[in-house]
Amino acid sequence: MTDPARNLEDPAQDLRQPLFGNPLFNAEAHRTTTIPDAVRRARWIAVDINAEGFGLFFTPPSPERPILWPCFDSSYPAVSSETILVAGEDRPELVRHIRASSVPLWWAEEPAIGASEHFGKLAWTTRMPEALVPEMAGIAFPVHTERGRCGLVVFLGFEINLTPDSLFDIHARCFSLFEAVARIRPGEGAKYPMISKRELECLKLTANGYTSEEIARFLKLSVHTANQYLTNTTQKLDAVNRMHAVAKALRLGLIE
Amino acid sequence: MTSLALQAPESFQPLALSSRSDLTAFLMDLAAELLADAYMLVAIVNEEDRNIARILASNWIHDAIELVGHDLIARLAQLPAAAPGSRPRSLLVSHAPAMPDLLNGEEAALLDVLGHCELYALAVQAGRQRYYLLLSSEHVDRIDEHRLVGAQMRCGYALSQMPDLLRAAVTRDPLSDRERECLLWVSEGKTTEEVALILGVSGNTVNNYVTHAIQKLSASNRAMAIATAIRSGMI
Repeated sequence: MTDPARNLEDPAQDLRQPLFGNPLFNAEAHRTTTIPDAVRRARWIAVDINAEGFGLFFTPPSPERPILWPCFDSSYPAVSSETILVAGEDRPELVRHIRASSVPLWWAEEPAIGASEHFGKLAWTTRMPEALVPEMAGIAFPVHTERGRCGLVVFLGFEINLTPDSLFDIHARCFSLFEAVARIRPGEGAKYPMISKRELECLKLTANGYTSEEIARFLKLSVHTANQYLTNTTQKLDAVNRMHAVAKALRLGLIE
Repeated sequence: MTSLALQAPESFQPLALSSRSDLTAFLMDLAAELLADAYMLVAIVNEEDRNIARILASNWIHDAIELVGHDLIARLAQLPAAAPGSRPRSLLVSHAPAMPDLLNGEEAALLDVLGHCELYALAVQAGRQRYYLLLSSEHVDRIDEHRLVGAQMRCGYALSQMPDLLRAAVTRDPLSDRERECLLWVSEGKTTEEVALILGVSGNTVNNYVTHAIQKLSASNRAMAIATAIRSGMI
C-alpha cells in the first residue's frame, strides 16, 4: 500500500494520526509528480548528503538485457557524461544485485582515499568490485516498487556525508522517489500505446491458463473477438506471440 | 550471534546472516531495540487467487497464530503496510470498528486478548521480493516509531543476504536449470524450434522440458506456466 500522504517528504503530516478512520488511507489520488519534480527531490537528497551529482536508472523488465536505463540525472534536462558511462555498458552483476538485493553499493577510486574510509564505516553496505564511474566515488541504492520494477539511485561525490543512521533514511527517501518516478514513467510501458481494459482482461485470463474459447465464454464475447483482443495486445506490446505478450505484461506490471 | 540489529560502527565487513537462527537473532534484537513485544515476518503468496501468508519467522505463540489464522495475518500484513519511504502508521486494535474491511470486532478482541494491541506493518524489500514485518506491542505508544524506518531498511538488507533460504520457504522452485532456461526463452517469444537452436538440442527435447515445467508448476498450458514462473520470480 503506497499512500503519498504518509510520505516522509511531507513534514506537514501528523505523525500520530491513527490508521483507522483515516480518510487518506485508501485515497487512490496519488500526488501527480513530474520528472522536474522528481529531479528536485533527488537534488534535495543530494544536498542533504553533500553529493556532487546524482542519477536515477531503471533496469529493463526483461532479464535478457543486463543494462541500466537512464531516467534523469543532475544535469537534467541534459544528460551527464557519467550517466552515459553508466548506461553504456552491460552490467550483468550489478543488474543481478539490484534484482536480488537491497544492499547499497559504494565505490571509491583514487584519489578518494578519504571517501573509501568513510563508506567503509557504513555497516550493511558493500563495496563494488569495480568502480561504477572511474576516478570518482559514490554510493548506489537499489530501489524497487511495489509492482516489482527495479532501479538504482546513484550519488556521486568524494565528500558524501552519510552516517550509519542517516543511510537508512536516505535509502528510504530513494525508495519513495523511485516509486513516484515509476508512477510517472512505468518504465517501458510508456513506450507502448494504450491497452484497453478489455484487452488486459483477456491477457490476464490467458496468463491464468485459459484458452481463447474459455475467455470468450467468461467475458461473453465471440471467440473471434477474444482472439482479436489478444492479437491487438500482442502487437501493442511489440511482442512476437502471446507467450511473449504475457511475459512482457507481467514484467511491466500491466497485469499481476 | 548477538546484537546483529545494533550498529557495528567499526565494521568494515558487511554483516553476514546466513542461517535461520541468524535471522531469528536479528529479528529478536530488532524487536527489542524498538520495544516491540512481538515480531512476525511473512511473505504473501498467491495460491488459487487467494493471498496466503507464509510465516518465515515469528515469536508469536503457536496457539495465537492458529487462533488468528493465516487469512487475517495476510490482511494485517498487506493492508496497512508502509512501503519503504512512506511513514509507518500504527494500527490500534481498539480502533477496529472504524475499519470493518480489515478487522471485525471478534478479530480485534482476539488480537487484544493475545497482546497485539498496537501493530505496525512494514513492507520490507529484499531485491524484487517483498516481505512484511509485523511488529506489535501489548502497550499502545510503546513501540519507538522513530526507529521504524531504520529497522525496515536493515531488515531489507538482512533478508537480501539470504535469498536462497527465503525463496525455499516462499516457493518451492521445482524447476531444473534446463526447464527454467526453456521457459525463459519461451517467455521471450521464442518458438520451440528457436529454443532448440539456441540450446543446441532437438525440438522434442525442448517440448519435453516445457511439458515437465508445465506439470511441475501445475499449470494448464505454456502461458500459465510462464505467468506462474514470473510471478514467483523463477524466471
